[in-house]
Amino acid sequence: MLRKLRSASPDILSTSVAFTVEIFLIVLFLFDKLDDDMNFDDFSSMKKKKKKKKKKGFEDGQENTEEGTKEAVENNDENGVKEDQIDDDGTDFSLPMKKKKKRRPQAKENEIEPDEQEKEGSQPDYADREYTYEELLTRAFKTMEAKNPNVVAGEKRKFIMRPPQVFKIGTKKTSFANFGDICKILHRQPKHLLAYLLAELGTSGSIDSNNQLIIKGRFQQKQIESVLRRYIKEYVTCHTCRSPDTILQKETRLYFLQCETCGSRCSVASIKSGFQAFTGRRAALKSKQQ
Amino acid sequence: MSVQNFNSADPFAVDKSEQEGLIHIRIQQRNGRKTLTTVQGISDKYDKKKLVKYFKKNFSCNGTVVDHAEHGEVIQLQGDQRQCIHDFLIEIDLATKNQVKVHGF
Repeated sequence: MLRKLRSASPDILSTSVAFTVEIFLIVLFLFDKLDDDMNFDDFSSMKKKKKKKKKKGFEDGQENTEEGTKEAVENNDENGVKEDQIDDDGTDFSLPMKKKKKRRPQAKENEIEPDEQEKEGSQPDYADREYTYEELLTRAFKTMEAKNPNVVAGEKRKFIMRPPQVFKIGTKKTSFANFGDICKILHRQPKHLLAYLLAELGTSGSIDSNNQLIIKGRFQQKQIESVLRRYIKEYVTCHTCRSPDTILQKETRLYFLQCETCGSRCSVASIKSGFQAFTGRRAALKSKQQ
Repeated sequence: MSVQNFNSADPFAVDKSEQEGLIHIRIQQRNGRKTLTTVQGISDKYDKKKLVKYFKKNFSCNGTVVDHAEHGEVIQLQGDQRQCIHDFLIEIDLATKNQVKVHGF
């Protein structure tokens, strides 16, 4: 490809174009990575989603940016409008052009020469655009934090959880050391959380004398964490206002989640372990039946 | 907080989560690092044997259909195939995202 290009157009120009395009792509890539990192910093799941969507909007061009900004309006309630306008202007400048740039070098490189010249003509704009993209990103985050700190900080404060301490016991069992503490933090009965964990993990287990949970099978802290997160989402946070001030009541065989903050009340799914496949030794099963 | 309530989904919609149409994808640990994936709740309209055949070929694992008195026909597959099955079911429109529930760690 490169050789063809060289033969077609003057040496220095074509190579420099290719080079700048490459650098540009790398820079883009780095930015995306940065973005991801930032997302990981936020703990509450809601924020994650919204930010991600916004990010996509930044990359995908006009239609998506519109969607993204709509969401942003919802996010920021009253003062989002100004920001959005700024954002829109910025994206109109930078993004669709970028997209084209990205695709062109791959698709049409060896087809037409005039295309190359076009590129050269618009080359000086690269620096400006790159700058605005960076600027926009930091600016958007800053304004979001500055204008509604209670949304960012408030949600975070509520969802701080102590991480589960998970240790291996031998090769076949896992201990969940601060099980009792976590039940206390969540204000749920150990029995309920135990039932959920065992049903989700598809194993058996028990609570020992110093309130730690012993589960059969090998599990890592990461895995237990994800299950706990799901438990909190389903059985602890209010489904309407997402506050964790809730009470779980049992009435007529159904569990109801009563929110202390907004007073809403809704039923939650009962814990079912469902189908359990037989994984032991077949011979043992046979001897039992006889 | 109280204003946010208006934005929320229909409060009665929660009850639907317990409806029958849910497809549960579970995982079970076996000896060592081996696992087993079970798919429960695929409706009778679909031929599970054919589904298993497809799964076996495309996810390169073995699998069977087990008939259970309470849970009906359940698909069992070797290994952790939760994500594959989840994506497949949604891709062919056998179920929507809300109808598939992935359990386990």
